[in-house]
Amino acid sequence: MDYLVAVLLPQLLHGLVFGAALGLLALGLTVIFGLLGVMNFAHGELYMLGAYAGLVVIGLTGSFWLALIAAPLLVGALGAVTEVATLRPLYRREPLYGLILTFGLALVFREGARQLWGGDMRRILPPVTGSTPILGMTYPNYRLFLLAVSVTLLVAIWLFFTRTRAGILVRAAVQDAEMLDGLGVNVPRLFTFTFAGSAALAAVAGLLLAPVFTVYPQMGVEMILLAFIVVILGGMGSLGGSVVAAFVIGIAQSLLTLWMNPQRVAIAIFGLMILVLILRPRGLFGREGVLE
Amino acid sequence: MTRVGWPALAGLAALAALPWTPWMSNYWMLLAFDALLFGAIAMSLDLLMGYTGLVSFGHAAFYGLGAYATAVLLEREVLSVWACLGFALLVVGLYAAVVAYFATSRRGIYFALLTLIFAEVVYTFFRYTQTFGGSDGIQGLPDAELLPGLPIATPQAKYYLVLGYLAFAYVVCRLIVTSHFGKVLVAIRENEDRARFLGYSVQRYKMGACMISALLTGLGGAIYPMRAAYATPDLMLWTESGEFIISVMIGGLGTLVGPIIGGVFFTILRDKVSSYVDWYFIVIGAVLVVIVLFMPRGLFGFRRLRLRPWRATA
Repeated sequence: MDYLVAVLLPQLLHGLVFGAALGLLALGLTVIFGLLGVMNFAHGELYMLGAYAGLVVIGLTGSFWLALIAAPLLVGALGAVTEVATLRPLYRREPLYGLILTFGLALVFREGARQLWGGDMRRILPPVTGSTPILGMTYPNYRLFLLAVSVTLLVAIWLFFTRTRAGILVRAAVQDAEMLDGLGVNVPRLFTFTFAGSAALAAVAGLLLAPVFTVYPQMGVEMILLAFIVVILGGMGSLGGSVVAAFVIGIAQSLLTLWMNPQRVAIAIFGLMILVLILRPRGLFGREGVLE
Repeated sequence: MTRVGWPALAGLAALAALPWTPWMSNYWMLLAFDALLFGAIAMSLDLLMGYTGLVSFGHAAFYGLGAYATAVLLEREVLSVWACLGFALLVVGLYAAVVAYFATSRRGIYFALLTLIFAEVVYTFFRYTQTFGGSDGIQGLPDAELLPGLPIATPQAKYYLVLGYLAFAYVVCRLIVTSHFGKVLVAIRENEDRARFLGYSVQRYKMGACMISALLTGLGGAIYPMRAAYATPDLMLWTESGEFIISVMIGGLGTLVGPIIGGVFFTILRDKVSSYVDWYFIVIGAVLVVIVLFMPRGLFGFRRLRLRPWRATA
């Protein structure tokens, strides 16, 4: 019983918190994949830039809350510009070109961040301090706050995709962009806004996780692989799938670290991924035949 | 001989004469080594990317495994170059067989991701296994010997070693792309379903291309510690695979010679730009973006990947 409360339960909550933030990251990735057929290698860098943008805004104003609003706007704007300038000319080309292009963008962003802010690790102080007793243990308030914000955002995104016209158009474009284009929807503009939105979500995830982890230019490289894994597990292009998969991976990772050292956990998760790709490439909830 | 071509022989002769030119200092010899090694590996990857239409994000694992195979033997005073190369072929071959079998069962982006994840497993393993030096890798290796008592110690000797490897890899690749096997690979790239309807066992051909490309890359990896005297897990990082891809893209897909030049260009660019500014990755990333956008055939390429409408998912 002590083991349950002292070890298992906190770890489970950690997983839930991490999974929620990972969900924000993966959601943007999977929508872009569904729309453009491109696995966005620069997504991890947008996540990293979110944390740095937050750092800058906090430096200027001293307010984490202002940063939480400004960082996604800034990174979203960068995403929009990037989409128009580099991805738009590639719409009609082989998706693999997009993959290679985003790899180049990732290099530029990562090195740009290192030049602007240096390569050393930075910290963002949590805006919410203290801890709360729940279920017989005490848990840091900031992580609870992180969970609440992430889940609120995930619900908001779900409402956006199911209740608003814009959201339904995006889903329609994931299904069949050419048809949507034929019906008179401005598909390129839709793509640009979606890309900006996905960049903004990555930025939010980056800033929210910054007080838990550390901020450094390479921080996106490690997250992006995990986000890829989430997207594959959930089924590429499947929105609900990637959220479920994010929680599965988040919880699995934090529970497995109880019994294995971290590198074994990494290998175990990679192994799981290889199995999924081989046995069920469409993932848990993906449509059959997407880019197979 | 006719299938390899006289221009290639002329190029080889020119490269062989390079150490005799007066301005080749040791620094330039070693840079030339790195450049040709990178070029040869980019060419091996081109067999897969340019001819078969499969983008591998996991070639760094073949490269790194080859390097570790050599490093492990050199560390134990097994100095024969041939033993190192043979051992590397064995190790890389076993791993590549597994990767090729599973990865080729999937197309396009799934192939790229499977190779990436397999490579990450290998990277993670070497990064955290203390037997192989963990994150430091295996350092301070002795020089390899071509024959007993004939060490490859000078930069010139090392240069000729990599030149021999490049020539071998080029002949293998050229023979393959001019053979029936190579034509089938191009057919698969152009239209996989149609190749299958014609009765070709598409997966077997893809596996073959994967294996050859992986083994050639592994050989290149096996040569690296003979020059650098170390092998580190960073050789297997997925960003390294990305750099191979960049070289192929710079040079031009499906041209063999293009990626060699691309690899040479990339290595020299990285070395030269990095000695002037420390933000060279911005330059490299920007070069890649510009090439994808405006020169999809590469700086020296003559053809591009087939066009497809933006919705590849029908």
